[in-house]
Amino acid sequence: MTQELEELRIAWLGLKAQVDQLAAERQQYLEFFENAAEAYVVTAADGCIVEANGAAVDVLQRRKRYLRGKPLAVFIALDRRTDFRNHMAGIAAGQAGAARHWRTVLAAGGERVEVGLTARVIEQAGGGICWRLEPAQ
Amino acid sequence: MSALPNRSPDWLLTTVSAVRELMIRRLEAAAADPEAQREMELALEELDVMWEELQGQAALLTRENERYAQFFQFAPDAYLITDAGGNIREANQAALELLKAPLGEVAGKPLSMFIAPEDRVGFLTRSVGLMFGAAGMPPAWRSRLQTLEGAALEVEFAVRAIPLKKSGIGGICWLLRPRA
Repeated sequence: MTQELEELRIAWLGLKAQVDQLAAERQQYLEFFENAAEAYVVTAADGCIVEANGAAVDVLQRRKRYLRGKPLAVFIALDRRTDFRNHMAGIAAGQAGAARHWRTVLAAGGERVEVGLTARVIEQAGGGICWRLEPAQ
Repeated sequence: MSALPNRSPDWLLTTVSAVRELMIRRLEAAAADPEAQREMELALEELDVMWEELQGQAALLTRENERYAQFFQFAPDAYLITDAGGNIREANQAALELLKAPLGEVAGKPLSMFIAPEDRVGFLTRSVGLMFGAAGMPPAWRSRLQTLEGAALEVEFAVRAIPLKKSGIGGICWLLRPRA
């Protein structure tokens, strides 16, 4: 029984070390995303926001919990929304030559904000798109 | 981001160690006592619950790691992560496209190797200044990047500190933006 307990303790320490390592790795990527100076938004395959970093919260002028689950399209000014959806459909469909960078106008905090949008497809299971929102100078 | 369980692995480890000590004492004191046997069974059940909790935490962290690692890999901008000595630890897809090199030819190499020779001294001076936290160092500057094929490209470098995933100690996150 004492030997079994010792084995259990060793197994436990192994798992604990694994969890600590995972926590450290998560911290690197989390800090990379969250503290980036650039505004990044990640959308799922259906165009809804799954994550937005601190800089994106500033650009979109919405709380993070309000952003999650909303289609990114609803933050685009109404007169630019069709154009945005066409671009997004092209990117998602992987059309050759589909624009990855274009300018559009956000409807943020009751104001129109001109931004450059840059999109890159997440080429892994689950897919989605990572966007950079760059307010015009 | 999903919330992590409130209980930290440290709390779990301390508790499981205490349970283990208790079990050993019971074993030594009254191996044949039915009451002690019952207490031990309860302690083992408690241990099982904590074990499952830690495994659950490991699974949650694994999922979150994969998710945030994807954000790094497929960010629309080129990013490199180096250690304090300037050796490349990680490069995302956009950075590999900029350097025109696969990860295997980039990882572990000094970033200065990808700087055009005429800009290398200036680049290293700025890099060393960053490593020693020199005041007044600009957070962004321009240098010419040189791909493995020898092509030169003017790039704006922007830097910030980041904890390295293997050790948690300070590394550097480099944003590389090509200038027209």
